[in-house]
Amino acid sequence: MGVDVSTYDELVNNNRVGPVLTGGPVARAVVEAVEIDNPDKEILIDDKGAYIRIECDGEMIIRQETISDVLGRDFEIQELEIYLGSFSGRIESHDDYVRFYFEKNV
Amino acid sequence: MAKLKRSDWYDFTRDTNWTPKYVSEEELFPQQMCGMTDAMDDWNSYDEPYKQTYTDYVKVQREKDAGAYSVRAVLERSKMWDNAPAPWRSVLIQHYGAIPLAEYAACTAEAHMTRFSKAPGMRNMATFGCLDEMRHGQMQAYFGHEHVSKTRQADWGWKAYHTNEWASIASRHFFDDMMTTRSAVETAIGLTFAFETGFTNLQFLALAAEAGDAGDHTFASLISSVQTDEARHAQIGGPLIRHMVEAGETERAQKMLDIGLWRAWKLFGTLTGASMDYMAPVELRKHSFKEFMEEWIVGQFERQIIDVGLQKPWYWEHWMKDIGEWQHSVQIGLWFWRPTVWWDHAAGMGPAERDWLEEKYPGWNDKWGKVWDVIIRNVAAGEIEEKVMPKTLPMVCNMCQIPIASGNPGGEWSVKDYQLEQDGRLYHFCSEQCRWVFEQEPARYQGHLDLNDRFLAGEIQPPTLEGALQYMGLAPGEIGDDAERYEWIKKFTRQEKVA
Repeated sequence: MGVDVSTYDELVNNNRVGPVLTGGPVARAVVEAVEIDNPDKEILIDDKGAYIRIECDGEMIIRQETISDVLGRDFEIQELEIYLGSFSGRIESHDDYVRFYFEKNV
Repeated sequence: MAKLKRSDWYDFTRDTNWTPKYVSEEELFPQQMCGMTDAMDDWNSYDEPYKQTYTDYVKVQREKDAGAYSVRAVLERSKMWDNAPAPWRSVLIQHYGAIPLAEYAACTAEAHMTRFSKAPGMRNMATFGCLDEMRHGQMQAYFGHEHVSKTRQADWGWKAYHTNEWASIASRHFFDDMMTTRSAVETAIGLTFAFETGFTNLQFLALAAEAGDAGDHTFASLISSVQTDEARHAQIGGPLIRHMVEAGETERAQKMLDIGLWRAWKLFGTLTGASMDYMAPVELRKHSFKEFMEEWIVGQFERQIIDVGLQKPWYWEHWMKDIGEWQHSVQIGLWFWRPTVWWDHAAGMGPAERDWLEEKYPGWNDKWGKVWDVIIRNVAAGEIEEKVMPKTLPMVCNMCQIPIASGNPGGEWSVKDYQLEQDGRLYHFCSEQCRWVFEQEPARYQGHLDLNDRFLAGEIQPPTLEGALQYMGLAPGEIGDDAERYEWIKKFTRQEKVA
């Protein structure tokens, strides 16, 4: 089969960042929170059952306060790790929010 | 009293560097163990991006364990094992043999980075990484042990790495190379960046998606729980590479990445690749291995490589072709040499399976399908013992230790053996890349005897397949068989009768 590897260059050249979460109520809350915390971004959701990929272009912020509001309980941002199976882009953990980003724009 | 924010005290508690008085810096951090050069010496500037404190660690890990163990407890009586299709049970047996003890080796690797990294941030992350890997070893050994009452092969969860079975040799050769025999710097790149940021996503998340689709939620929650640890401690390598790039050590980092990636691809293209494209139930199989590779390695991981300041590996084009081919070629080898593995390998054949393969990999029938045509004809004629059982050992690659099966059979025959003469000996490789890895440091690899070398050296007695199985530690009841005891052939013979 003729594999056109140039299509793979296109696949690499993306700027999508964001978490890949194992399913459940927190993952659903994060989907909602991401929409609120990143109002100007188009959020892409890819639900594979065992995991949900949440991505947008360039930079994504997820705030502890927003997740708490959506969940209706106190949520500490460190708890996100329980569900954080992977992520695209790079990560920066802060006291009350987490940021996914790329340094280079391609 | 107001609690301090974590960021107010984190750096202070983490920065445990001091000036040694009783020994020299070189004695405290020997170059061979650290791999850190003078150019890279500003270690306090290494800033780990994924910060974790011990208090949070314990709290979070407890929740993770509670989650995975409670799923297991709830589903214990669901008879998943009894009701699962035989090929899926083989995926579990393969996983539990290949992974848990390798996790203990990873524990050693993390401990090595804890001790011999000059950056306090690396030491901190590796300490948690070490605890993570201990958890992975224990948990997966425990979950897998449940199946011992069902099949002796499940005992290979403990046994595999202590044997000379060829897939165990291949796994050990890879993990020893990446995890236990290099400096802290090389380990951080080969293990935490190339392998953990890249490949473990396939074995622990993509496979979890397949498990979930197949209804095996215990396994799905177990392995995705493992991956939440990886996502954190894998972040040791990225900032280290940036540190190296800034210190002008780009070439060294790139080389280690290229070695680690290729080696991980060979092993996991074999184990995960064949499992996903042939062993998961076809009617529930939503994505091909190639599609998962495109999602995780091409779309996600390769992009991260560029961001930390490195390039795609030099063999990129060949590799991208390989992600649609290797698993099919090695699948034939895995199935044909089925007595030599500790799980019952599935052929994964049937008209529906072939349609799926042709759809996901256009041209499949013309290549690998032609080999299977012959196998199917022989199995249908009842000539299993005579024509589809191995009489010899597989010819394995002197680097990856996996049967040499690169290139395509059938219409565009391109199977090739890559050779190298080194100090009077001829070495055989499955690919240009495996040969290249060897050439980077021949002394590291050339003394290793592959399975055929051991056979020729007279280590395997009697020199027959039976003698070889014994040498590999495969006892009756453990020797691999066709996962469905050839029942799948009826899907073809029935069809012929209808026609």
